Amino acid sequence: MKRRSILALCLVAALAAAVAATTSGATKQASASSITVWLQVDAQTGWPDLVAAANQQFQSDHPGVTVNIQYQNWGDHLQKFDATLAGGGGPDVIEMGNTETTKYMAAGAFADLTSSKGQFANSANWLSGLAKSGVYQGKVYAVPYYAGSRVVTYRTDLFKSAGIKKLPATTAQFVADAQKLLKKNPQKGFSPFYVAGEDWYSAMGFVFDYGGGVAQRVSGKWKSLLSTPQSLAGLTAYKNFFLATSRAGKTATEGAPDPNPYDVYAQNKAASMIGPSWFSCCVGKKYTSDTAQFVMPGHVAGQTMPGFLGGSDLAVPITSSNKSLAIDWIKDFTSTSIEQGLEKKGNIPNATNLLGNSVNERAAKRSWFVPTAKHWVDVENGNILRNMLGQILTGKLTVKQAAESAGANIESVLNQP
Amino acid sequence: MSRRRNRRGKQAAWNALGLAVFVVMVFPVFWMISTAFKSDAQIVSITPTWFPLHPTLAHFSAAIHKPFFWQDVENSLIIVSVTVAISIVLAFLAAVALARYRFSGRTLFVVLVIGIQMLPQAGLIIPLYVVLARYHQTNVLSGVVITYMTFVLPFCVWTLRGFLLGIPKELEEAAMVDGSTRLGVFIKILLPLMGPGLVATSVFAFITSWNEYIFARVLLNDQSKQTITVWLSYFLGTSRHTDWGALMAASTLTAIPVVIFFLLVQRRIAFGLTAGAVRG
Amino acid sequence: MPSDSSTTAAAGTLLGTSRRRRRLWSSLARASTPYALIVPVVAVIGVILGYPLVWLVKLSTEQYGLFELIKHHGPSIGLANYRSVLHDQIFWHTLLRTVVFTAANVFFTIVLGMLIALLLTRVSTWVRVLLTSGLVLVWSMPVVVAVEVWNWMTNYQNGVLNYVLTELHLGNYFQHDWYGSTTSQLSMVTLLIVWGALPFVVITLYAGLAQVPHDLVEAAEVDGAAPWRVFRDITLPIIRPILLILTSLSIIWDFGVFTQPYLLIGQAKMTPGNFLMSIYLFEEGYFKSDYGRGAAISLLMLLLVAVLSVIYVRKMVRIGVAE
Repeated sequence: MKRRSILALCLVAALAAAVAATTSGATKQASASSITVWLQVDAQTGWPDLVAAANQQFQSDHPGVTVNIQYQNWGDHLQKFDATLAGGGGPDVIEMGNTETTKYMAAGAFADLTSSKGQFANSANWLSGLAKSGVYQGKVYAVPYYAGSRVVTYRTDLFKSAGIKKLPATTAQFVADAQKLLKKNPQKGFSPFYVAGEDWYSAMGFVFDYGGGVAQRVSGKWKSLLSTPQSLAGLTAYKNFFLATSRAGKTATEGAPDPNPYDVYAQNKAASMIGPSWFSCCVGKKYTSDTAQFVMPGHVAGQTMPGFLGGSDLAVPITSSNKSLAIDWIKDFTSTSIEQGLEKKGNIPNATNLLGNSVNERAAKRSWFVPTAKHWVDVENGNILRNMLGQILTGKLTVKQAAESAGANIESVLNQP
Repeated sequence: MSRRRNRRGKQAAWNALGLAVFVVMVFPVFWMISTAFKSDAQIVSITPTWFPLHPTLAHFSAAIHKPFFWQDVENSLIIVSVTVAISIVLAFLAAVALARYRFSGRTLFVVLVIGIQMLPQAGLIIPLYVVLARYHQTNVLSGVVITYMTFVLPFCVWTLRGFLLGIPKELEEAAMVDGSTRLGVFIKILLPLMGPGLVATSVFAFITSWNEYIFARVLLNDQSKQTITVWLSYFLGTSRHTDWGALMAASTLTAIPVVIFFLLVQRRIAFGLTAGAVRG
Repeated sequence: MPSDSSTTAAAGTLLGTSRRRRRLWSSLARASTPYALIVPVVAVIGVILGYPLVWLVKLSTEQYGLFELIKHHGPSIGLANYRSVLHDQIFWHTLLRTVVFTAANVFFTIVLGMLIALLLTRVSTWVRVLLTSGLVLVWSMPVVVAVEVWNWMTNYQNGVLNYVLTELHLGNYFQHDWYGSTTSQLSMVTLLIVWGALPFVVITLYAGLAQVPHDLVEAAEVDGAAPWRVFRDITLPIIRPILLILTSLSIIWDFGVFTQPYLLIGQAKMTPGNFLMSIYLFEEGYFKSDYGRGAAISLLMLLLVAVLSVIYVRKMVRIGVAE
């Protein structure tokens, strides 16, 4: 008994020593010998070589300064950021989603980069959708990093066997093509076009296609645009399109925990789907060779459906003590060569003069974005638009009623102090 | 003869019921492990594949080769072992005080112990971070250890107290009449009888610490210092496609140390009913 | 002789003093033992949680959003945060829903846990080892992973649950959406939580059952007592403290559970119509970055849980006091 307890005590002591040893590596306040950068994990898996290239460039310009890249998850990076804003130890550069920036800009979380704007590569040609998300009250607080739009991924073999000779140029034609696909593929639950009912990124494209919108600022207050005749026409168009072409759940969302569109596609339960262009990665080995993409058409021939321009920006937190080094790093990471590298990996680069001709980039030519309001994040988190779509599709409310109720909701949230 | 057959029949019935419960409870775990061996097509298909006939090790390989796997396993093992070891010792002492002594301030201590567990943890993240940052305990394992101890101690104290109360005082009194000191009694009499209680409590402390996520996420920055649960979250944290096969393989791997720990500890108590010591 | 008696008396008092001093020291030692035993625990908890608790209380009386967080200062607004929460209809609806949810979860967890623990005492050793190992395997699954697996098993597109139910001809469950209504969503969450909570409850109860004298039970059975009476009169009194602990802990945990409902139902399907208290706290306090309000809700939750579990806690404390 005694020997065993001595042994146990020794073990605990050894482990405690191990813990103490790592204490020596505690973070000191960021000194001029290193900077900390928070990038999302997408960069770690998608383009680690570009990150390395940027670091190399930075270190040759600033010998003796190391770059400490810490990868973050989309789900909790803001919680972490908030903790560092309160207690210190935060990064010198942070990647923010373009729908996340406005709230933080309004709260004064970022350093003012307006005077440095000219030094960033291609800043005169920044994509307007991305650039807007980095500006607040006329000042620049975030630098566009990269974007992504939405395209249609489809099964060339199924389209061929259904007798579709040309890709649809209008939504009406798409509906007709969908009927052909349904006839050829009558199995239960098969969607000619898979779009989740509450996929507001895709649905709101219809609203903007008809000239409508979500909300706009009128004499200092936010007013909902959802009840304008154009928006109502767009919502009705979406409802009809969904009912004619998609067998997805009417209240389903486009991501977890609901099925991923590309999984449905890989199970041979969908002939086409709408989503980011990287969806083509995961269509299953069987169908990869029969998969291609095209830009979603609008309701008028020759005009594409406006796609949601998702993307990321880079900002310098106000708590950073290495602002000029941070700005230099951002300059290196958004240089023309890095942006061209991002473009090659299937992303949309941050400037119009760098745009190529991929499906993704063609889709971005006509795009829409959310209102740049301080409280927009609350509208998203409150699922107001999603619920509106669910109510419309299930028939619980008419298009007019649902739009009115959602609009009133949005106004009350956006107009909070 | 018939009575023996009757007993055997009854035993078989109980065993069958036990096996049924086993199958139902373990099914999701089985699903996770079998998915780790399935090909990507089988994972996504509509008709479920129960037993992958051509198991693949590709997912396990992908998981192990993901950066920082071994370092984060080591970090988790260190954090959890130190937390459990210190917490059990401290909790046992405090539980003895609660179960065997009457002292003023006892109710206050009880309220403290129970109250801590009622605090919603979400509310504590930012203030805790601020406190630890002040003492340079962020981005270090010791900061995480002391945080976990704070959450694990109240539960351990309370549960061990419950087990202690189940041991009749007469045993100690008999031993003290024989001349041992009070402390000697605790070590020689109570501790061995607490076997089952110590096991249950230490397994709980181990698992709670091993699977904890949000505080480890917020407190540890360098990927080389993170725990295995944070490492796991990188599979799901991307805005792109999730590699389910690799995630399931990684999850299977992270569950192994817990099972090993339990197997090691449970041998110390006789799972057969040996409550003979409690005989009056 | 007076001098002799006074010397003896003096000697007597001297001896008496040292004996008294020794008794004083030993009684001090005995009295201070419990304090010495609890000091380490109090120290750890106090050092780490002391400041956060004070901060939480202070925050709840302040206007503290993201802007104030960055400035490290927020104006004091008294009890306005509390008033705003208590006047919120959503708060009360959520509270009711959470109470019902907690009751259901605790009931199933404890009852099923007790039954399985008793089962463990009846089966052969090999079944017992198998079942216990299975339970530990379940327990060792990280919650996030368990949720993902459950999600798969129950999703309407290719979930194994729908497939099995349809194959067993229990009805047409093709593409049945288990997350269509609030009741259905919360039932799924309950299943998940009870499944995850059973291992701990079963193992702890089984450890407690090990303290029940086996020969007493056998003797009673030989005498012809019904199993129910054996359980009630012999087993129950011995494991009562543990049962009370587990019940009160389950109440506390299930009232504040967050990860399972949040991830299983999904943030996109969260509406005030299916909030649970912890999700309400998260959405109102942290998603909206209104930390002052979040602190008020946290403290209200603490109060509510204390009220809900007070009966069990008092019983538990009293068991100890009676000793």
